[in-house]
Amino acid sequence: MKRLEETVSRIEENKMDIDQIGESLKEARELIKFCKDKLYKTDEEIKKILEAED
Amino acid sequence: METVTLLELNGRVRSTLQFEMPDAYWVQAEISGISPSGQGHCYLELVQKDPTGRTFLAKAKANVWRNTWLRIKPFFEAETGETLKVGMKVLLQVTVSFHEVYGYSLVVQDIDPTYTVGDMARRRKEILEQLARDGVIGLNRELEIPLLPQRIAVISSATAAGYGDFCNQLAGNVYGFRFYVKLFQATMQGDDVERSVIAALDAVAAERDKFDAVIIIRGGGAVSELSCFDSYNLAFNIANFPLPVITGIGHDRDDTVADVVAHTKVKTPTAAAEFIISKVFDAASILETLTRRMGESVSERMNLEKLRIERMTQKLPSLFAVVRVRREQMLENMWNRAVTGLNSLITSNLHRLELLEKGVNSSDPIRILERGYTLTRCNGHVVKGASDLKRGDRITTVFADGSVESEII
Repeated sequence: MKRLEETVSRIEENKMDIDQIGESLKEARELIKFCKDKLYKTDEEIKKILEAED
Repeated sequence: METVTLLELNGRVRSTLQFEMPDAYWVQAEISGISPSGQGHCYLELVQKDPTGRTFLAKAKANVWRNTWLRIKPFFEAETGETLKVGMKVLLQVTVSFHEVYGYSLVVQDIDPTYTVGDMARRRKEILEQLARDGVIGLNRELEIPLLPQRIAVISSATAAGYGDFCNQLAGNVYGFRFYVKLFQATMQGDDVERSVIAALDAVAAERDKFDAVIIIRGGGAVSELSCFDSYNLAFNIANFPLPVITGIGHDRDDTVADVVAHTKVKTPTAAAEFIISKVFDAASILETLTRRMGESVSERMNLEKLRIERMTQKLPSLFAVVRVRREQMLENMWNRAVTGLNSLITSNLHRLELLEKGVNSSDPIRILERGYTLTRCNGHVVKGASDLKRGDRITTVFADGSVESEII
């Protein structure tokens, strides 16, 4: 989330050249997807860990 | 010697007491035993301890007859949120009685719950002061709830309605957030609460890396029995807990000590779930905002670049035209300079030619011959002196208009 914030701020500062923006945009998209997955998709790994000892 | 029977003696004690102490008294005491009877009465053991709490200074049985018990029990519970129990300080209105068989006892007529409430508040205050002195009171509040508190350890009793409420509320959140809940069972009512909840906390602590927060919840009952959460040991454990602790133990009276030291206190299990959901919602909102901001700033930037390119594209022909005009001028200048240079070169050469022509003309032998001079040749050679000739040579004298032959004599 912090990295995403930084990336977006950098884009907003308009200091990047176009090629860099492409890279940053890609990175930001990945970060957003990662965060969204955490929010909305069941992480089977966590589920397994928590249920293992029951 | 007069002798009396035991019955007579006890009878005398009884009548003396009745005669001497007929009034009702408000007495402060601590309950050391309580046993409801099958007939609906309630038998209490009352004590007074010395300030250390270890020695009994006074002790008495107290009976609450059925009619009184039916009246004061709900009244007390409504006022304090507690049931009468061992260890509780109470203010009772009693009459003194003596029975020939059962002996000395008090008969409870009424109870003043405000005394108990005050005592509980005082105890809470003392515990909080002790926690403050020990420097632990704000420790849990200083912890930060992680950005996405999705892994929740719940301390509750499995059968409590509150636990079900909590799980349903979390699972049914309208945003579709995912949560992972693990229950650590504990007794949430009665004297075992302290030990049981601390044991559950220890169990959570043993796998603290797997959780973002701990929630202590229980369903509301008619009687909240909060005093078991006014425990120094329990509060100490909560305050020192490595994860944020959220309490939702269901009440709307003064906060218990456990509530005060917890990271966050809410009233009900449902509210606890809402709190967790709101935390994740906050994180999701930040994510949404960042996503939007990023989209906006990128498209803004792209538009800007597009405009710039357009501007440049438009500018290019006119820029080119300027360059072309300048080059053309330069070419013209150079042409003009070349033409001028060539002209002057030609003029000056013509002039020189004229001069040369004049020079050439003036030195033409014909002109000299016209002025009266002659040219003499002999055998094809020009004769330049008299010594070049001898007698008998034939010479040719050239005039401007012709030549004559002669012979030297």
